[in-house]
Amino acid sequence: MESTQFNTQILNHSDKLFRLAKSILRNVDAAQDAVQELIMKLWEKRTQLDVVENMQAFMMRSMRNLCLDTIRQHHDEDELPVEFEYVEPNPYQQAEQKDLASKIHSMIDNLPELQRTIIRMRDVEGMELSEIAYVTSLTANAVSVNLSRARQKIREQIINEQKRVEARVWK
Amino acid sequence: MMNKLLEKYFRGETSLTEEKELKHYFSTGNVSPEHEMYRPLFEAFEHELKETVIRPVPEALTEQKKVKRIWFQSFAITGIAATLLLLLWIKLPRTSDNFALIGGNRIDNTEYVQRYTTKKLNKVNIILARSMKPMQSFNKVRKQMEPLQSLSDVRDKMEDLQDKLQFK
Repeated sequence: MESTQFNTQILNHSDKLFRLAKSILRNVDAAQDAVQELIMKLWEKRTQLDVVENMQAFMMRSMRNLCLDTIRQHHDEDELPVEFEYVEPNPYQQAEQKDLASKIHSMIDNLPELQRTIIRMRDVEGMELSEIAYVTSLTANAVSVNLSRARQKIREQIINEQKRVEARVWK
Repeated sequence: MMNKLLEKYFRGETSLTEEKELKHYFSTGNVSPEHEMYRPLFEAFEHELKETVIRPVPEALTEQKKVKRIWFQSFAITGIAATLLLLLWIKLPRTSDNFALIGGNRIDNTEYVQRYTTKKLNKVNIILARSMKPMQSFNKVRKQMEPLQSLSDVRDKMEDLQDKLQFK
């Protein structure tokens, strides 16, 4: 693969890779390091990349594997806590919405790694189920099941949050 | 219609096109009050999509090949230039024997050299003054220690007196 091809096919995906790494590692600096590491590795193996059919899926899969290796190396307990703050609900409607939006990031971050990876690949990146299946080494059906579970969990939390806000307003 | 689509979405059964439709619905102002609570969810997805890698990916990766190609050319050009300069240096008559080397460069302008030297000497002066400061404090300590020297004189006198008294 030529350097120009590398630029268009790989470097253009760096933001997507960063978002995936950040979702798995739940840490901005670690995610940036992971992106750098992966791109360096891919650059070293650029001659073998011409045979890859779906570059996006291949890179996302490599990124996920690298992140999971990083977590394993740090014996799981080093997986850093969620950075989003859980702020007290604001009584005003607009503020409530903003608050809920930041809570939703937190809700997704608190899902198990597989579910948060799947929901983000689908709902943020807009990836096909077959691509997600390749990235996660699952069947498309298993991806669909995990996606459904993730969405249901978020929905339950949104409903509970809504009830809490309403109870506060009526008090 | 939207209720059914939302139910389908939460069951994980929607297609990408249907999900786009939902995203569009929640991005507009015409969201039904019963669906309002789901708006932040879709807004959060849109917000996350805007996140970009902060540290830029090293451009050196893509520049490496270019550098390799340029390296050989620049080496050849530098070689030719150096040879020409050497020939000129040998051929040209030497104008003056009074010169100084500053930072590896030959300087014939005596005025410039004098100014440069004065500047450097001033710098040395400042450095020396700074390094002499601790010595000044040593002097202060020595001066304060001077009264202690008289203590030994007192002791000598006491001893004399004691001897005399014993003798008597």
